[in-house]
Amino acid sequence: MSDAKAVADRLAKVKRLNALLTPLKDLRKSLTAQSAAARPTGVLYGMPVAVKDNICTLEFTTSCGSRILEGYRSPYDATAVAKLKAAGALIAGKTNCDEFAMGSSTEHSAYGRVLHPFDKARVPGGSSGGSAALVAAGAVPAALGSETGGSVRQPASFCGVVGIKPTYGRVSRYGLVAFGSSLDQIGVFGRSVHDAARVVSVISGRDARDATCEDRDPLRLPTVPESLQGFVIGLPREYFPPELDPAVRRACERAVRVMKEQGAAVREVSLPHTPYAVPTYYVIAPAEASSNLARYDGVRYGPRFNGSADLRALYRSTRGQGFGPEVRRRVLVGTYVLSSGYYDAYYRRAQQMRALIAQDFRNVFDRGVDLLFTPTTPSPAFKAGEKLYDPVAMYLSDIFTVTANLAGLPAMSLPIGRVKGLPIGGQFIGQAFLEDEMLEAAYALERVVPATDEA
Amino acid sequence: MSVSRDEVLRIAQLAELDVEEDALPELADQMTRIIDYVAQLGAVPTNGSLKVFMPGPDAIRFRADEVNPAPLALGPEKFAPAFKEGFFVVPKLGQFE
Repeated sequence: MSDAKAVADRLAKVKRLNALLTPLKDLRKSLTAQSAAARPTGVLYGMPVAVKDNICTLEFTTSCGSRILEGYRSPYDATAVAKLKAAGALIAGKTNCDEFAMGSSTEHSAYGRVLHPFDKARVPGGSSGGSAALVAAGAVPAALGSETGGSVRQPASFCGVVGIKPTYGRVSRYGLVAFGSSLDQIGVFGRSVHDAARVVSVISGRDARDATCEDRDPLRLPTVPESLQGFVIGLPREYFPPELDPAVRRACERAVRVMKEQGAAVREVSLPHTPYAVPTYYVIAPAEASSNLARYDGVRYGPRFNGSADLRALYRSTRGQGFGPEVRRRVLVGTYVLSSGYYDAYYRRAQQMRALIAQDFRNVFDRGVDLLFTPTTPSPAFKAGEKLYDPVAMYLSDIFTVTANLAGLPAMSLPIGRVKGLPIGGQFIGQAFLEDEMLEAAYALERVVPATDEA
Repeated sequence: MSVSRDEVLRIAQLAELDVEEDALPELADQMTRIIDYVAQLGAVPTNGSLKVFMPGPDAIRFRADEVNPAPLALGPEKFAPAFKEGFFVVPKLGQFE
């Protein structure tokens, strides 16, 4: 249990990171009210949880890091937020993110970039960079993010915290602003596996308001296992390419050694369609985004930009001025791949490839592998500006994370080492709805891996 | 495959998005690179009869057929840019080709 003032003070201390979008004055006022109203019997009683700005909250504005929703106040709470409140958690403000969750560095926010908490010249990853940075800086024990292609795991890896993406359909997306509807899932950051896992457990479970949310009970947390005896862990060879950063490779090899010492059986496996995952993703996600973002037209919510001449001019000027460069690019690419004459060559082709990528995972899991272990990212946190003007280079930082989104599988990143002080993340990819097995392995690895030692 | 300046304009029109004249060359160049990059999918042999993969429930669950208004804490007058007497206010329609 932390009191409202202490929570706000901790967030005020890391203001320089630009990770929090909620003005501190509003935050203090809200936290005091929330604290008074919080139910002391809730399992997260008094736990401050920051929320990514693309998840709707009644208390605070929901801008999605975009000018087109500047000042927008949602008329309802997302189901995940309502469940957190019901469990006694305190909503500790809204976190900065890439605009509409499109980006891998949190440089594409209309409200300025987020600084990496260990090195201000670097990016915290993205798109949920604000949430990751706040947890890494010790301002909150947990935060909500969202994933479409790795937007929780990649920043978790860059910032040295735990990031969990549950199975598609595990957590209700009611109130998560839609980007790529066949990929989107709410995820959680935590200081430890347990902090993140217990938040996942609270926000998971059926919801009549989201037809894509499975009719299942909330996730039950496993107990911390004595060892990894009985676990078969697959190492997909495509995730350890020759160009992998040597320190990342060393950290992964060390984690694998540790898992073997804990009794796990480790096997090399192959997911042959992995090299096509990023191009597949960058057809499907923009296509879905171009359709989902059609609703921002200056009529129903957010500000209106010029264009009083006629309705069409209003749409065009509002969208033209309201969307930032990366969102504009993706809306255009999405419209292009869906347009007449190109649909079969790009969109249909990507859908077929997605089926093959999902089949790769089924083949491996059908042969007795329980879990996969990989690096989360090909390198540690990169410098701000390094990939900003090269969209394809930016997209490639998601190379090890997009596959789990395409296949709808649960996955998580946890810190496994450092290189020159920068965190390195290791990733587990699990089988659909078997988050409990994945968490068991993560509990066991977390206990023994030298997460803050140089690799 | 190269995306031309005119093609960007056509796509921007489909997407109802104003693109500034001086942003066009860079946008065309970046779209060309993105489209070139994703075009590698065309070279991979796939089975044409492959079933499309969709994560999530196998069947759509139907809700009971009853009116269930969303409990909104704020009305549209609080978040719409222009709202009057129960309507979203917009300028005249203009030309849609």
